[in-house]
Formats: sequence, C-alpha cells, structure tokens
Amino acid sequence: MVPMADRRQVKRLIYTAVMLAGAVLWLAALLLLSQTAQNSADFARLQSAILAVNAAGVFVLLLLIGGNLVRLIRDYRRQVPGSRLKARMVTMLVALSVLPLVLVYLFAVQFINRGIDSWFNVDVEQGLSNALSLSQTALAIQMREHLERTQAMNEQVNRLRAVDLIPALGELRRESGARELSVFGANSQILATSSENPTAAVPDYPSEELIFQLRQGRPFVALEPLGRAQFQIRTAINLASRSPGAEPRVLQGIFGVDQQLSGLAERVQASYNQYAELAFLRNALKTSFTLTLSLVLLLALLLAVYGAFFTARRLVSPIQQLVAGTRAVAKGDFDTRLPMPARDEIGFLVNSFNDMTKRLAKAHQEARRSQAQVESERANLAVILARLSTGVVALESDLSIRTANQAAGAILGVDLTNQVGESLVAVARDKPLLEQFLAISQGHLERGESEWREQIVLRGEVGRRVLMCACTVLPGEGDETGGYVVVFDDITALLQAQRDAAWGEVARRLAHEIKNPLTPIQLSAERLRRKFVPSGEHADDALVDRATHTIIQQVEAMKDMVNAFSEYARAPDIQISSVDLNQLISEVAELYRHQQRPLSLNLSLDSALPVVQVDVGRMRQVLHNLIRNALEALEGVSEPRIDIATRYASPNEDGLAEIRVADNGPGFQAEIVEQAFDPYVTSKAKGTGLGLAIVKKLVEEHGGTIQARNAERGGAEISILLPVEGRASATATIIQSARENRRERA
Amino acid sequence: MGLTTLLLALSTGALAQDRPGRFEVRSASSTLRDGVHFLEARVEYRLSSEARQALDAGVPLTIELEMMVIRHRRFWPDVEVATLRQGYRLEYHALSQRYIVINLNSGEQSTFATLFSALNFLGRISDLPVIDAALLEPGNRYDGRIRALLSKEDIPGPLQLIAFWRKGWTLESEWFRWRIVDK
Repeated sequence: MVPMADRRQVKRLIYTAVMLAGAVLWLAALLLLSQTAQNSADFARLQSAILAVNAAGVFVLLLLIGGNLVRLIRDYRRQVPGSRLKARMVTMLVALSVLPLVLVYLFAVQFINRGIDSWFNVDVEQGLSNALSLSQTALAIQMREHLERTQAMNEQVNRLRAVDLIPALGELRRESGARELSVFGANSQILATSSENPTAAVPDYPSEELIFQLRQGRPFVALEPLGRAQFQIRTAINLASRSPGAEPRVLQGIFGVDQQLSGLAERVQASYNQYAELAFLRNALKTSFTLTLSLVLLLALLLAVYGAFFTARRLVSPIQQLVAGTRAVAKGDFDTRLPMPARDEIGFLVNSFNDMTKRLAKAHQEARRSQAQVESERANLAVILARLSTGVVALESDLSIRTANQAAGAILGVDLTNQVGESLVAVARDKPLLEQFLAISQGHLERGESEWREQIVLRGEVGRRVLMCACTVLPGEGDETGGYVVVFDDITALLQAQRDAAWGEVARRLAHEIKNPLTPIQLSAERLRRKFVPSGEHADDALVDRATHTIIQQVEAMKDMVNAFSEYARAPDIQISSVDLNQLISEVAELYRHQQRPLSLNLSLDSALPVVQVDVGRMRQVLHNLIRNALEALEGVSEPRIDIATRYASPNEDGLAEIRVADNGPGFQAEIVEQAFDPYVTSKAKGTGLGLAIVKKLVEEHGGTIQARNAERGGAEISILLPVEGRASATATIIQSARENRRERA
Repeated sequence: MGLTTLLLALSTGALAQDRPGRFEVRSASSTLRDGVHFLEARVEYRLSSEARQALDAGVPLTIELEMMVIRHRRFWPDVEVATLRQGYRLEYHALSQRYIVINLNSGEQSTFATLFSALNFLGRISDLPVIDAALLEPGNRYDGRIRALLSKEDIPGPLQLIAFWRKGWTLESEWFRWRIVDK
C-alpha cells in the first residue's frame, strides 16, 4: 500500500502536469491565432481547433473560478476562519491585476487601430491609382492601334475570295504583327485562321460576350491577362457583307503586348492589387487583432483571478491551520501540531506555534502529574488520618468543619466525617462531649489564643474522657487566618494504664515489704500468748490475751490483704486455648445457684458466639470476681437478681465477644463510677477493693476492654468486650515480657 | 473604443446595403458516354455584398463544387462510393478591368468583362466526368449529390477570423441529388 503522503504527492504532480500541458496548449493556440491574423493559410485550417481550444480553456478557467468563488462565499457565510482574509486578498489581488491589464489592453487596441490606419496613406493610394491609370492608358493606346489595324484589314479581307482567304490571312497577320488572325462564320465556325504558332491547330474561339458585342454592331477590343505578366489584346470586327443575305463573318485578331510594357504594367497591377486588398482588409485586420487581443485579455484576466484564488488559498491555508490550531489549544487540546508550509515568515510562525503547543503540552502534563501527586499524597494523608488513633479536626475560621477523621468522631461521640462543611456549633447541639470540647476551644479562641495546648476532661454518660488537645492556626491569605487544626488524643486509657502500673508496683512492694515482717510479728505475738495466757498468774493476763489476739487477728487480716495484693501483682504465664465462653459462663454460674440465699441468676447467651481464644483460668477468675462483686453489692437487697448475657458484636469486622453482667443492687456511686476499676475503690463494706481491678487487668491482658456504668433501670452493669481471636495472645505477650523485665530489675 | 469596433465588426448584417448572397444548384444530371458518367449541371451563383466587395478589392475567391456518388442500401445507411472536388478561382484584374476564372483542376483560364458573365460561365457545368461506369456495381441504385460553396480556407487570414461569424461569407448551396442511370 502506498502511503497517504506519497499518494497526495503523485496526485499533485499529475495535477500540475495537466495544468502545465493545458497552459502550453492554450498559449500555442493563442500564438496560432495571432498568426492567423497575419494571413497564413496553413494556420487558417487550424482555426476552428484553435478557437475550440481557447473556448475550452476559458470554460475550464471559468469552472475553476466559479468553484473557488462558490467555496469562498460558502466559507464566508459559515464564518470559516480565514475566509474573510481570503476574500479580502482575492479582491485585492484581482483589483491589482485587472486594472493594469485593462489599461494595457485599451492602449494596445488604440495602438493597433492607429497603427493599421497609419499604413494607409491617401498619397500612396492616389499614386498607385494613377500608376494603374497610366498603365491602362498606355495599354489602351496599343489596343486602339490594334483595333484600327484590324478595322483596316476589313476591306482587304472582304475583297478576297474564300479560296484565297487562308493564304492572304497569313500575309495580313504578318503585316499587322498579330499573333493570330481568324475569320469565323455563323456559330463561330472557323473559316480561316493564321497563327504565329504553327502547332496551334485550333484558333482561340471568340467568347460569347465578344459575339454579343459584335451583334450590337460595336467592334470588340479587350486586354486579356494571360498570367505570368503576360497580356494579349483581342480585337474583333464584323466583316462587311459582300452581298445582302450573305453569312455574317467575324474577323478576330490576337495581338501580343510589348514585353517591357506588360511587365511594368503587371507590377503596377500587383502593387495596386496588394494595396487595395490590404485597404479592404483594414477593418478585418483591426477586428481580428482586437479579437485576439481580447481573447488574450480574457485569458489573462481569468488567469489572474484564478491566480488570485490560488495565491490567497496558499497564503491563507497556513493561517487557517493556525487559527484552527489556536482554537484547539484554547479548548485544551495541546497535542495539535501544524504541518510546516514553507521556510518563510509564516513557516516561522507555525514553527513557533508548534513549539508553543509542545511546551504547553509538557507543562500541562507536568501540572497533571503534580496534581496527581498531590492527590495521591492527599489520599495517603486521608488514609493516615483515618487510621490515626489521634483525633484531627480542621475548622474554617467560622468554625465550620473542613475535615475530620474517624478517630475524632470516635473520641467525641459524633460522626464528624459526614458533617463536613457544617458548622461545628450546630453539630455540637445535644452532643455533650462535643459541646464541652467546643466550649473549651471557643473559650481559647475568644481569648485570642489561636495556638494552645491543654489536657481537658470531658464528662459523658459513659464516663469521663481525658483528652490531650492541641490547636494551631492554618496559614491563610493575607492577614486572615485560614482556619484551625485541633489535634487531640484520648489519653484516658493511658492515664488508666499509668495508674494500673503504679498500683501494681505498690502491690508488689506491699507484698514484699509488708508480708516479710508480718510473720515474725505473728510468731512473736503467739509466743507471748503461749507464755502468758494459760498460766493466769498475772492480773494482766486478760489484757495480754486480748492484745495478742488482736495482734494475731490483725496480722492475719494484713496477710490476707497482702496476699490479695500479691495476687493482683502476680500473674502466671498466659495460656491461650479455644474456649466456648457460653459453656464457661454456664459452669461458673452453676456454682452460685446453690447458695443459701434466694438468688435469681439469669443467663442470656448468644448461640452465635464463636469459640474465643483466651486463657481459660483467667477467664474463669474474671467471671468469679464479677459474680462475687455483684453478690456483695446485692447484700441487703430484697429480691437479688444477676443477669449475665453474651453477644457476638460486630461479626462482620474483627469479631468481638461481649459479656455483660448486671445486678439490681444500688449501683455505683456517681463519683466513683469512673474509677471503678482502680484498686481500693469500693462502695461496699466488705471486700479488698481489688476485685474489679483484677478483672480489668485480666481483660486487658486479652486485648479486651471493660466498662462500668449504672443501668437505666438501676443497679450496676459491667460489660466486657473480647476479641474473638488474634490480639489476645499478642497483648498478653507484650504484658508478659514487660512483667519479666520488671522482675529482672527487681 | 476598441471594444466598440469589435462589436460593430462582429454584428452581422448591420449595414443597410448588405445583400445576402445565394448559391443554388438549379439542375444536375448525368449521362453515360463511353463508359463514363458525365455531369451536366446549372448552378446559380449570387455573391453577397461582402464577397463582392472583397472580390473588387482584389481578394481572389475560391468556389468549390463538391460531388459525391452514393450507393443506396436497403435498411442500412447509404455508402459514399466516390467524392470529387472541382475548384475555381474567381478574381478581378484591375489593370484589364476583367474578371478571371481559373479552373484549379486544369489550370484553364477565362476572362470576362462582367462579374455576371463570369458567374454565368461558372454556373454552366457540362461534360464533367464524375465516375467510371465500371466502378458501379450493376443491380444497385446509385445517386449523385452536388453542391457549390465558397471556400473559406483560401481567403486571407484576417478575413477568415471574421468569415467564421459572418453570414455574408457563408455561401453554400443545398445538396442536389440526382439518380445515376446506367444508360
């Protein structure tokens, strides 16, 4: 297959060749036409063809121009870019070429007419006419002489008898100097003839007009051209009749003309003839010259018009392409490349345009790339923000939300990610945590503190939350602030952990430091007792008995307490196994059913709960502690009831198993509900105050969370969330290794 | 101005004294003599004013007789068997004030005092051999055609250009048909 460009080139080549051939043919035709005007017989035969070629040329040009004109008008109406410029150029070029052409044409026609007229001169014409008259006169004299001579022969011939006529005629001919002398009878019958030329058997017959003239009684004389500058004079007379009724006879003489005279006369005749012909052809010449000139003018005009279209198209087409290219660029298509027209200024312009679009395309691409980079970074940032446990809220200067991450919503108890664009003040309505947060933040901003850092405590239904909060101003345009970013961490758990750790340390120290001296104290008290109490010798024995008893009892109590502490501080290695929590709860609950007191223990277990990865011993202790704690709280309550429920929470995500233990006791005191899991926080008369603290510790070892609250219908409610699998072991390992470190240090 | 001249020149028959010319074949017949068909014809020549003026100005005119022998065919177009052209030159000789007629085929020359007699002479065609009878197949029907015309090819160039348009220079008779009989 031939490439497109090649094919176009071939097409253009053929087109050019055809155009060139046509132009040459036309030019030749025009040249021939001009030759025709110069009296050339050869070209005359081609005249029709020449005219046809010219007509065809004019027709083709008219067609081309018509097509171009129609296209131009159509483009102009459709306001095709460049059409106005093209129309103006065509008009200008046509005007520029038509004016001089018409001027030249008018002058040329004038010159031709004047020139042709100037060939003809009155004097020359008159001179030639006179010369011709002179020749005619000279010849006329000869003619008259010959006629007279012929008439003189009348008598002689008349006297002759028919028999003598032939020899006498020869004599007469020689005498008169005639070339031929003949006597004709009726119906031009030859009666006798004598000729200078002996080979001429037949004489020159008299013509009809000769006979006609003689019949009218007039003698005949005429000068007859013979061609090649030769003339003869023919004379004829009626011979007088010898007797009435005799046959009429005609004597005809043919005389030669003097060679010199005839030569001169012929030359005069030729000149006169030529001049007369030219004079006659004067108008025809003018007409044909004017016609030829007009044809040339028409051709030149049409060519000029077509040339104007052609040039305008050649000049405008790169400009049109430029305009189209500019439009494309304006619409955002930077890949537009224009073909190079030529190495001229427009070519330079097109080159610059191509350069510009190339650079624009590059710049556009880079802008897009950097935008994509920014987008991806923003996406990354969004992902980071979403995964961040730290709450981040960006606010406009009018406190409407610009962005907020999920953690912020989780900490403040409101889903802020869906409220982007709304005012934080409006969102905070009826949301206690957010309201408090907003009040503190607004307080700072009203005081003009745009950059601040503070630990704030929010009180909600669930409990108190401690937030570490920092605010900073976003740079804006000019002097105005571009908004604020508030970053906050929920450090409640952190503080709790610190407290737990502190308590653990206390417990360990107590167990270590206090338990050791207790045994000697107890032993000493017992020895005192053994020595003094049984004897009863002293009056103070009763006192000793009481005192030692108190000491021993209190030491025992202290030992219990220290044991409980060490129990809190101690933690055996965690052993994870698959445990059915429902079954475990049923087993543990069964142990409390046979208590002497009337107790309603209700189990509501979720059968969908899967097997959970936990340490079964620790879990059992958690359950015991919770039930025991509830039982202790229920002392003195008339209809004690404990509800234990399990639930498979959020089964779609990371599965969580929830255990909820509720009682209908007095519930937590409002001020201690938040520290319910701290050691030695208790509202009860009995107990070590370590039960819930241990529960919390064990739950956290499994990666779970625990919450305490007062139920709406009264009584305390403790809920535990445990991950179904995975995290328990990891958390436990960390805790264990931490503990080992601590032991080593100890 | 040039354009006006041109237009004037191109307009035909604009002049009052213009007389149209006419060529007409009045009669034509052939006779068989010694195995050759000889033509006998009468043609009326009447020159137009333009042609007459040109002739008087010394422009020679060529008059042509065009003859054709045609074989008839049934259901088919006729066939040309032979074509014959006879040319005459008519010119005015200013010196002798006579009209000269030259037979271009034979070179024979005749002079006349008047144009009328010259044309009359031209119009009388007799004993012009047309075709050898041996060339005609017996049993077929043959026709002769003749016409007379003023040749435009031999008039001077500038006149030719004009003659192309002008009626006065288009002098042509209709075709005259006669039957060629084998007798």
